Amino acid sequence: MVVARANWKGFIKFGGVAVAVKLYTVASSSERIAFHTLNRVTGNRVRRVFVDSETGDTVEPEEQVKGYEVENGDFVVLEPEDVASAIPESDKTLKVEAFVPCNEIDDVYFDKPYYLAPDKMGADGFKLLRDGMRKGRVAALARTVLFRRLRTVLIRPHNNGLIGTTLNFDYEIRSSEEAFDQLPDLKIEGEMLELAKHIINTKKGSFDPKAFDDRYESAVAELVKAKIEGRALPKERAPSPSKPGDLLQALRESAALVSARKPKRSSQKTDDGASSRKAQRISRSKRTA
Amino acid sequence: MALRPYWKGYLKLSLVTCPVQMTPATSESEKVRFHTLNRVTHNRVMSRYVDAVTGKEIEDEDAVKGYQKGEDDYVILEEEELENVALDSTKTIDIDVFAPSDSIEWIWLDTPYYLSPNEPVGEEAFSVIRDAMASEDMVGISRLVISRRERAVMLEPRGKGIVLWTLRYGDEVRDENAYFGGVDDSPSDPEVVLLVQQLIKKQTRHWDSKLVADPVQDKLLEIIEAKRKQTKRPAKTKEINPKRAPSNVINIMDALRKSVEGENRRGKR
Repeated sequence: MVVARANWKGFIKFGGVAVAVKLYTVASSSERIAFHTLNRVTGNRVRRVFVDSETGDTVEPEEQVKGYEVENGDFVVLEPEDVASAIPESDKTLKVEAFVPCNEIDDVYFDKPYYLAPDKMGADGFKLLRDGMRKGRVAALARTVLFRRLRTVLIRPHNNGLIGTTLNFDYEIRSSEEAFDQLPDLKIEGEMLELAKHIINTKKGSFDPKAFDDRYESAVAELVKAKIEGRALPKERAPSPSKPGDLLQALRESAALVSARKPKRSSQKTDDGASSRKAQRISRSKRTA
Repeated sequence: MALRPYWKGYLKLSLVTCPVQMTPATSESEKVRFHTLNRVTHNRVMSRYVDAVTGKEIEDEDAVKGYQKGEDDYVILEEEELENVALDSTKTIDIDVFAPSDSIEWIWLDTPYYLSPNEPVGEEAFSVIRDAMASEDMVGISRLVISRRERAVMLEPRGKGIVLWTLRYGDEVRDENAYFGGVDDSPSDPEVVLLVQQLIKKQTRHWDSKLVADPVQDKLLEIIEAKRKQTKRPAKTKEINPKRAPSNVINIMDALRKSVEGENRRGKR
């Protein structure tokens, strides 16, 4: 089997144990549809140049330098070595600083996942850390210099291996509490909730990433074709929002609609099985509290 | 205080529809941000478009998207036209499938957004969809066009709102068997695992956003402050007396220092 080259090699250190590991990218980002930027007047392609905001002269990349604005228009210049000096020396070690219960982890901090595999097959320490964390339902938080940036990495068991996810820093994330602070505290109960639960259960299925197709590119191709042929471009109608007074009616009609159809994706009975899930919900709501 | 929404549209469950807005969970506003300067003049550097053939600078409003049909053959597409691309997922998140909340592995989560009702008229409908998912411990799976791609998205109730995650494409995630296939899966010595579990227990803490503090940003601000003092003319030093006129940098540094000290105290306990 051809294995890609490791993106990083180093150690995970927990307690007094150092485990040699290799780190591999999990996800590559796939191509998006590429448009070119044109000059509307001439129809020619354009290219980007960098100019001095005062003199208008072109500034070549080697003449560009980072500046931090301290007062209006006043900058402190930082050379690449200044920025590098703020980053600690890389010791190639993911030093575990704490373990955290998996159900408390706020996933909005997640940045990028990496596979972590033992450098030498059968590394006992690797398996111990993996199995210990799995039993304790925790993940490890470690810090290291990864690709010339200091990163916090969340390490967790994943099947036979480990996954290390880089985390965004606290100041890079707005908390959900803050984001939803202004929303009214509406609790839905009674018939409306029951109907909505019923609809959800008839639509029960699973996410199959392999079956998902990005339809955007072909839709744009269709749009281009229509434009060339001088056809009117199809206008997407905005749906009309359900009015509060009609909400119950919309739910009743939806429920009747889905009941009339045979559930497509699941043969499961759609009674609400909330009781068995209650325990989980309680632990989940603690997380957000 | 309210952030400009990144996207506005509709959330739909069967015949129930409500207007919603979406903002990214990530934010650049607190990050130490740099501008690009001309090393010689110390003026800011700006990006400009020039016509590739005539070499003349062009106005921003004359820059337009072109779809390549063939070599040197483009069709101009205006933003409004692109908005009308014939996909319902540009304007509407129609939740078509629901899945148990723990059924989607973290590995598929790409970028988080916060979804909330956009107008009071939609608050109740939004809450119905949110609360029904929460009480069934389910997440919604749908599609949404974001930055010129149609993405699979997951909707998860969180507090009074909904977190929307874009999910990675199937072909983006590499097969783990290529990396973990060779890992020996014989069980570890149970006695040693027990020891590791004890160690883990001792070092287990509650999740706290302080665990993801950044000491580098702190250092960078110190370096900036030191450089600033170096380059200040003596006449001006009085003005930056922190007692009289605290500059923004000093405030940020103080705040950052305090949170670091707080973390240190916690660590010692």
